Amino acid sequence: MTRPWRGPAVTGPIPRRLRAVAVAAALCLAVTTGCSSGSGADTATGATGSVAFQPQHQGGDLKLLAKSAAGTLDPQVNYTLQYWQLYQALYDGLLAFKKVDGQDSFTVVPDLAEALPTVTDDGKTYTFTLRKGVKFSNGADVTVDDVAASFKRIFTVSSPTAGTFYNGIVGAAACLATPTACDLSTGVVVDKASGKIVIHLVAADPELPYKLAVPHASILPAGSPAKDAGNAPLPTTGPYSVGSYDPNTALKLVRNPHYTEWSHDAQPQGYSDTITESFGLTVEAAVTAVENNQADWVFDPPPADRLNEIGTTYAKQVHVNPLTAMFYLAMNTRLAPFDNVKVRQAINFAVDRAAAVKLYGGTNLAAPVCTFLPPNFPGHVDDCQYTAGGGTTWTAPDLAKAKQLIQESGTAGMEVGIVTQDDEVNKSIGEYLQSLLTQLGYKATLKPISANIQFTYIQNTSNKVQISLTSWYQDYPAASDFLNVLASCASFTPGSDSSINIAGFCDKTVDAQMQDALLTERTDPAAANAKWAQVDKAVMAQAPIAPLFTPKIVDLVSSRVGNYQFSKQFYMLVSQLWTK
Amino acid sequence: MLRFTARRIGAAVFVLVSISILVFLIFFATPGVDPAARIAGRNADQATLAQVRAEFGLDQPLPLRYVLMMRHLFVDRDLTSFVNRGVRVIPQIAQAVPVTLSLVLGAAVIWMVVGIGMGTAAAAWRGRAVDPFIVLLGVIGVSTPVYWLGEVVNLLTQSRLHGNVFAWVPPLGYVPLTEDPGQWALHLLFPWLTLATLYAGIYARVVRSEMLTALDEDYVRTARAKGVSERRILIRHALRCSLIPVVSLFGLDFGALVGGSALLTEVVFGLPGVGRLTYTALENLDLPVILGTVLYAAFFVVLANAVVDIGYARLDPRVSRA
Amino acid sequence: MDEVTVPLRSQGPWRLGLAQLRRNTGAMASLLVLVVVVLACLLAPLYASAVAHTDPFASNISGTTVVGGATVPVLAASDTGLGLGVTPIGPTWDPAHYFLGSDNQGRDVMARLLYGGRDSLLIGFAAALLCCVAATVVGVLAGYFGGVLDAVLARVLDVLWAFPVYLLAICLSVVLLTEGVTIGPVTIGAGSLWLPVLIIALVYVPYVARPLRGQVLALKEKEFVAAAVGVGASDLRIMRRDVLPNVLPTVVVFLPLMTALAMLTESALSFLSVGVQPPQASWGTIINDGLGLLYTRPAVSIAPGIAIALTAVALNIFGDGIRDALDPRARLRGTA
Repeated sequence: MTRPWRGPAVTGPIPRRLRAVAVAAALCLAVTTGCSSGSGADTATGATGSVAFQPQHQGGDLKLLAKSAAGTLDPQVNYTLQYWQLYQALYDGLLAFKKVDGQDSFTVVPDLAEALPTVTDDGKTYTFTLRKGVKFSNGADVTVDDVAASFKRIFTVSSPTAGTFYNGIVGAAACLATPTACDLSTGVVVDKASGKIVIHLVAADPELPYKLAVPHASILPAGSPAKDAGNAPLPTTGPYSVGSYDPNTALKLVRNPHYTEWSHDAQPQGYSDTITESFGLTVEAAVTAVENNQADWVFDPPPADRLNEIGTTYAKQVHVNPLTAMFYLAMNTRLAPFDNVKVRQAINFAVDRAAAVKLYGGTNLAAPVCTFLPPNFPGHVDDCQYTAGGGTTWTAPDLAKAKQLIQESGTAGMEVGIVTQDDEVNKSIGEYLQSLLTQLGYKATLKPISANIQFTYIQNTSNKVQISLTSWYQDYPAASDFLNVLASCASFTPGSDSSINIAGFCDKTVDAQMQDALLTERTDPAAANAKWAQVDKAVMAQAPIAPLFTPKIVDLVSSRVGNYQFSKQFYMLVSQLWTK
Repeated sequence: MLRFTARRIGAAVFVLVSISILVFLIFFATPGVDPAARIAGRNADQATLAQVRAEFGLDQPLPLRYVLMMRHLFVDRDLTSFVNRGVRVIPQIAQAVPVTLSLVLGAAVIWMVVGIGMGTAAAAWRGRAVDPFIVLLGVIGVSTPVYWLGEVVNLLTQSRLHGNVFAWVPPLGYVPLTEDPGQWALHLLFPWLTLATLYAGIYARVVRSEMLTALDEDYVRTARAKGVSERRILIRHALRCSLIPVVSLFGLDFGALVGGSALLTEVVFGLPGVGRLTYTALENLDLPVILGTVLYAAFFVVLANAVVDIGYARLDPRVSRA
Repeated sequence: MDEVTVPLRSQGPWRLGLAQLRRNTGAMASLLVLVVVVLACLLAPLYASAVAHTDPFASNISGTTVVGGATVPVLAASDTGLGLGVTPIGPTWDPAHYFLGSDNQGRDVMARLLYGGRDSLLIGFAAALLCCVAATVVGVLAGYFGGVLDAVLARVLDVLWAFPVYLLAICLSVVLLTEGVTIGPVTIGAGSLWLPVLIIALVYVPYVARPLRGQVLALKEKEFVAAAVGVGASDLRIMRRDVLPNVLPTVVVFLPLMTALAMLTESALSFLSVGVQPPQASWGTIINDGLGLLYTRPAVSIAPGIAIALTAVALNIFGDGIRDALDPRARLRGTA
């Protein structure tokens, strides 16, 4: 997924689309042991783990602000962080990410299923039992037929992730080809009497539990329309349902009268009686409104010139949390001069990651990185092949080394075009790169293009992009979500707008290493993560990308808000904020 | 006259069709613009991509795509955005119109009063120290970038002087007239003044030069010879005559502004009007919304032109034969 | 022959106009301002190298400078509270060290202002010239020949006229800035300054061509043109000898006014980040750069705005002077 830091100063909405993840991978431990790796990072939150509902804080109206609406309300179609965050209090899948603060939020727990699935048939069959007594907000019981219909609906509405998350279900291939004739009856088998749901896969997919815990796998009533429901809200199962939605004014959530808490971990009761996200204010105005307690929270990141103010005057209301994400330069390994590994290494040596951090908002908002996998992510091991003075973490650029490598490559003087998004932060990092490449002896030009098309533009090989600045945010916590998605041969499709391996990096040896790590993950997660660390090292040795930094997110809440909790998966837990 | 009107309508339709084709072609000439991958979602599977392309008719040849889109816009009226799936274009424009109208109407009142007042005063006091001063004020109004003026106004009213002088200024944004007339006016006050600055400058200059021309005309000399008072000459004769070109100019400007030319003011002050809608759609390369808003804008420009032309034709029959 | 086709205006009106312009103190003062602005911008490299000692196009993110004898970072990270955000150095009023402060890349705003003026003025003037030339050709051809040619050109002008200026300009910019454009043998790259020139010239063609066409239509009714036709002069000759000299004063009047309008349009496009592309600077791009710093370092945005307004005021007053001297009835929509 992507989450641009700041939009162009005065432009309209930049939909925060989430990026999908492809490809089978890792039997994550989430199902069996719980995915805990790394230590809690430097969150400024201070909230504790899962504490039972505290009725004394119940009630009140929570007022959220966002620059603009984020499109359709259909949870199986919408692919924006903005609404995925709100869906946490609305919809449920068979499984869910634990709704708690901190690292534990990466754990998958049973939601509409009674328990975690039993996995049989070499990881190809998942068996669930539907929880009894859960009702939709329209009063109807949630039945196994609703579950079967919801899985089918993923394909009939051409859900963005239909072909990448759920393509492994038996019968999915035909559904992808002709959604209207979709038949999943052999892939998702349900039994009304026992409440059993059996999902059959074509091949083992250890990441399936994660994929069942994201909004595209929400369970909706069987009668839901077989096309994008658009602005018409669909019945929910969570503590809230949609009261009204108008993309030009507001999205209002009200209590779901048929909800009772069935699992505090999976779907905790919410505190506020209503949650309203209003649209249309500029971010500047929205930040002011929160400072004056006229609103409680702003979705959009605060503008650069307000950071100092909110970090100083409103420090008590600010929460800064690291994200498992990276900003990086993708260098096209199939175009000169970046088809030469020495040039790619030179860029890695030359780029001043501290400068990029500064342009992003300073050392408290981002940290320089050298590895493919972000810190505190499964498989991450501190390592830096490209820093002055050696060492396992980045300290300073090594311009002398970079210039020497470029001289050896004989590419100095070539024309290099840098493509970035045209919002303030990305453009400013682009300007720095243009300045740097000029200093290194290239004829560098900068091409900032609309944030909305840049991401697909740089993927398509027919646009002949040499080097681009982009970012990658995890979809779920698995090393394959970075390495296998961004650096495998399978993720490269020439001439397509959807070719996420932007560098066009394809190395048979590395690919084999990744396959090995994926296989290992089914049996030994710890060993697999060690292997992923080796893959990371091997990819970075060939330097198809230059990682710059891992960003943090700033949440400013009003002074009346309490119980801020940050899920690393879906960010601030809106339903858990209280105003009383 | 009837034939002339019919011809004007024919020309207007031609212009609108041409503009829609132009926008359509400009859009599909842009590289990387294919919305399929964006609609399908990041890193979508190639099959999903093909599915979306078929669903939105993007695999059809260009002319057919154009016809389909026009049908959705005008016949079925259910054209939906490429970026915000499921969001319809027409209601979006319909909701933005009152905002733009509020902005433009208020500003128009201000600039007409100020512009005509300044222009008349300058013409009346021609040759005295006041005239060049007013002229200079007008030129400064015309020459100041409106978006920059807006930003500076925001800086002063929202930040620098918000603590004392401008404590009463509400945050940026729009409050509907039907919801709270007082807040509506308060929210729009500075946008009105900012937008009016530019046009007051233009109109002051136009009124002044028209009046100076009129004051040289024979009938004015005749009136003077007859002993009509200077003041009466100024108001009854010179001003009345110079208002005809001013009103026709106003028609054109008003049409353009209602159509979305107040874009910069709307963007700077965060007013969700048609101009800002167009601008965000262009930013996001959201073709259906771009088509809708540009056609809407062109419609008002064409309408204003036609009204002005037909008005002229009524006043001067020679025009309809030209 | 020559007696018949003597142009209505000889060199006389031009010299008369010039004399009148010289007596116009406002116009002369404006000319002086323009000369000073142009000279200052031309001397930008000198200022950057000899006075400020900076490269206005190179990022200086980790650099330091000297203020009041103390060495300070150009971009200072916040050290209060949670320490969020980075603030560039503000105006020091010391020409050698960031006179007007720094932008978010650590570049000297004053030096960039002078360089930016070069691009703004160049684009304004080039676009105005190109627009006037194109509009004269269109206006004269359409007005003179009438018939099908006029009908076709008039429809094209109608379409351009009805397409709101900013919308058309932004539409074109969004497309062209991604890929550049090729017109016949000439290729203009994606980041080129000539793209905004071309776009702005195009969108304003109807503004100039429409009044010119009307003028040509009126001229055709005049006796001396009828006489020239009567004696069998070629169309080309009539257009060159009779029509063109008579519309030229209007074109000359429009030129400075168009330059101001084009400059303002360029700055607006750059402000919306569809004009001049970084690292090149125009006054509009500097305003845009400064927007993200408006609340902490307003000088970055305010200074170029004042520069634009000052230059446009001077151009407009000078243009008014020329109008009064040459063709008092000429009027250009948008500038009054």
